[in-house]
Parts: sequence; C-alpha cells; structure tokens
Amino acid sequence: MTSSDILKIPPLWHRLYSVWFRHVRVYTKNMFSNALPPFLEPLLFLLGVGLGLSRYVTQTMEGLSYIEFLGTGLLMTSAMFTASFECTFGTFIRLEFDKVYDGMLAAPITANNLIIGEILWAGTKGFFFSFAVLCILTAFKIVSLPYSLFVPLIGFITGVMFATLALLVTSFVKTINHFNFYFTGLLSPMFFFSGVVFPITNLPGKIRPIAEVLPLTHSVRLARAICTNSYSVSLLGDLLYVIIFILVVGFFAVRRLRRRLVN
Amino acid sequence: MPDNVITVSNLNKSFGKVRAVVELGFAVRGNTCFGFLGPNGAGKTTVMKMLYGKCLRDGNGDTVVDVFGYDPAKNELAIKSLSGVVQQEDNLDDELNVIQNLWIYSKFYGLEKTAAKEQIDYLLDFLELSAKAKSRIRELSGGMKRRLVIARALMNNPRLLILDEPTTGLDPQVRHLIWDKLHQLKKRGTTILLTTHYMEEAFQICDEVLIMHKGRKIMSDKPQNLLKQNVEQYVLEVTGSYSSSLLNSQELLQNVRIERAEEMTRLYSNDTEKLRSFAGRLRGAQYYLRQANLEDVFLKATGRGLDDKQ
Repeated sequence: MTSSDILKIPPLWHRLYSVWFRHVRVYTKNMFSNALPPFLEPLLFLLGVGLGLSRYVTQTMEGLSYIEFLGTGLLMTSAMFTASFECTFGTFIRLEFDKVYDGMLAAPITANNLIIGEILWAGTKGFFFSFAVLCILTAFKIVSLPYSLFVPLIGFITGVMFATLALLVTSFVKTINHFNFYFTGLLSPMFFFSGVVFPITNLPGKIRPIAEVLPLTHSVRLARAICTNSYSVSLLGDLLYVIIFILVVGFFAVRRLRRRLVN
Repeated sequence: MPDNVITVSNLNKSFGKVRAVVELGFAVRGNTCFGFLGPNGAGKTTVMKMLYGKCLRDGNGDTVVDVFGYDPAKNELAIKSLSGVVQQEDNLDDELNVIQNLWIYSKFYGLEKTAAKEQIDYLLDFLELSAKAKSRIRELSGGMKRRLVIARALMNNPRLLILDEPTTGLDPQVRHLIWDKLHQLKKRGTTILLTTHYMEEAFQICDEVLIMHKGRKIMSDKPQNLLKQNVEQYVLEVTGSYSSSLLNSQELLQNVRIERAEEMTRLYSNDTEKLRSFAGRLRGAQYYLRQANLEDVFLKATGRGLDDKQ
C-alpha cells in the first residue's frame, strides 16, 4: 500500500526555512534583551578605546587610524562570537536539556536539514551582529557608507564558518562545561592574534604562519577591504580559505552531529 | 479487515553490547490501537523511534520495517509526513506561547498560512486548550503541556499517531480526557501506536497489546485474550508477611497458584469460592479478593524483580 498521492513532504528549501524560522521566532520573542547587547557591546568597546587608549596609539595600522583598525576588526569578532555561542551552548541545550531537536525530528525534517538550518541561522546572527557594529561605526563616522553596507554579508559568511566549527566541537562534547576550553583555548586567542587588535605583520616570523591558519584572520581581511574599499588579488585567497573551511569542517560537523541526533 | 499499516519482522537494535531490541516482529492493522507494554528499559521507546527514523536499526538483511509501504531507513520523510509523534518528554519551546509553539510546527509540515490558522484553532479546541492560547509554556500544568504536545503531533492530520507513554505522571481527569480523544481519533480512522506502563490504559484503549521484556516480545494478543489465556480469573491478595500452615494445605489450595513476596502473598485461581473460603480462615490478616487484570499478566510475564535497566 503506497500513498504517494496524498504525501505532502515540504521541499528542501522549505524544510531548511522552517528550521531557520523556528530560531528566528524564538530569538525575536525577547527582542529587547536579545537585540540591544549587539549594539551596546561595540559602543562600550569604542568608547573605552576611543576615550582612553587611542590617544596613546598614534601610529597607523595598515594605513588606518587605530580606532578604524579596531572597529573594522570588531565587525567580524561579533559575528564570530555570536555564531560560536549559538552553536555550542545553544545547540547543546536544545540537544541535551530542552530536547527541542527530538520534537523537530518527528516532523518531516531530516537530521541533515536540521543541522544545516542551524548553520544558516548562525550565519543570520553573524549578519545581524556585524550589522549592529556597522551601525555604531557609522554613527561615529569610523567607517563610511555606502561600501561598508556589504560588510554584513561577510558577517554572514563568518557566522556560517564559525557555526560549522562550533557544531564540530559540540559533536564531541559530553558536558556543557567543556565549551569553556573552546572559548578560552581557541576563540579568545583568535581575538588577539587574527589582526583584530593589531596587524599580524607585527607578529614574530615563527608565529605568523599560525595566524594565517586561523579562520578569523581571513574574515577580518575581507571585512576591512570592504570597509576601506581597497581590494587586492590576495583577497581571493582569503575567500577561498573561507569557502573551503566551511565545506570541509561543515561536512564533518554534519556527519558527526547527525550521529548524536539519530543513533 | 483493513490492511496492515505497519509490518515489522526480525527487528534488532544494539547500543554497544546492550541488545535493546531482539528479533522483534509485529503487525499493526489500520484504524486500530496497538499498545506496547513493558517495564522501563524493555526497548519500547527504541522501537517507536526506529519506526520514524529517529533511531537506526541494526543492519540485518532479512529485517523488514514497513510503515505505509515505506522503509524508515530510506523514506523517513514520507513516514514523518504521514505520522504524528508524541514523545516521552514535553519538548515544547519554553520561550514561546501555546499558539506560537503550534505555529512553528505548522511550518515544519509546510501548511499554508490560512490552513495553518484553521488547523491550530481546531486543535486548540479539540484538546480543550483554547483558553490557554496565549499562555506561556511555564504557566501550563503538566496535563496542559501534554495536551499541547498531542495537539502539535496532530498538526498534519496524521494517519498514524505514535505516543510514547502519553499519560505518565498525569492525574486521572487528564488521563481520561486523553483516552477519550484517542478514541475519537481512532473513530476517524487514525491508527494509534502507544507505549504505556498502565495496564488500565492498555485495556481501555488498545485493540491489541504486545508485552515486551528485555527487548523481546513475550506475548501479543487482544487484551481480553491475554487475560484469559495467561492468568487465572481471580486473585486473593493477603497483606503482611503472612506465613501459615494454611498455605501448605494441599486440600485447600488445589488448583491455586501461590506467589509470595515479602509483604504480600497472592493466590490465583479460577475458583472464586475456593479463594473466598480460604480467606475466611485467615484470622486477623488483611486480604483483598479481586478479578485478575492485565497487570497480573504483565507481572507474571516479566517477573516481579527489577533488573539493572529498570
């Protein structure tokens, strides 16, 4: 007995969209507490640095004043952190504590759909968070429109990239406290050694290759190029890095996490 | 006779060295209610999960799992789109209110906006939740949460409804309400598959019951037949650590089966008079004479002791 005549399976794009929609709906439910911090954080950062530190830093960095250099870097770190939180703590809570995924997987959604929807949502948060930073940077005339309007797209890609890495980490994690190692062990160092707070050209020759391996380095270069509207051929290499990173890490993340969802 | 909606044979599942489901086979006819009974850790939930692809079965060549003509290993989306699942935990989105929880699932099933709105209104009414439409999940009682999870599982008007311990931990009113709704759904042509610990539940709503223990099928039949064929009609329960020479009396207790536990002695027989006259001789001991029920069958089949999975 087959019943294909009455089957109503939503198409792939709709399945991904519905997972994404679920996250948007839950996130926007607490609009005030969720949407304000992404604006406040860069504001505090820039105030602190602008009022305090920047008068001591008089050298330009890669042709930018310090506040410009740091500000364009923050566009990407905000995307990195939000995607990382979403796909470590967020995903783990949905997986192990709230059992939200169990319910979702009873609907016509595959584990792969669910994980990819998750990644797209983290990308969206990356987009939104870098947009929030952009608003602050624009308000303080640190970056200029209209070129920089494209930078949230790099925020999206950065969100997607860090989502794949975070999900891969999550697939290994047994207790939620283990994420602390990921944040202090990998993300915090990346904040300092990926050309956000100072140019990586200043790093000792032996350490520099390590900075080139870090994914954030490449996001920051792309973002800075867009904000300053100055492009070079080497940016293609950065873009290629990001794309390959997403595909390779994403592949393993989906494969490993699927085994935790469907066992 | 309606066709079989589910056909399963030689189904196995191991988690590491633990064999959760062993050579299980059963068939569920359309438009009936099929119940899985078994102690905790018997493998009931694992069987449910394997039917809709949440759990992968062991790869044996001769295993058959057929749900509406689809194999969950190949066509999980087809099965999921025809089924609704009520899981053991109330996995609702706490951040959202009642209606928003349903709204999200209407998207999962690909319902159009107007169709979704109608369906949500109907489901809230059907499960008597209309007054709570705007309530936050935290404000709901356990019974309301359960009803909301059931409403959510009915979003696509499923032809098969899978319920994993739908009434565990609920008060009698809600339990009866849920049974009533399940009866109504069955009348409308929904096939129902459920797991439960409650013998009364199995007896009330199941057309067929499968008793599972340690991953294996122990017996399967209509509840009445299970009763008739596996246990004596009456039980005399004597409370306390009762030991008397009366229990050794061959004459008094001919055709009586005795089961002793620390604080309870049970005497099973088809002859109610025999049990009654025995009870009459018990001086000072508390006793209770009753009809045997599915629980007695269950305990006889699965044993009274606990194993390491319970």
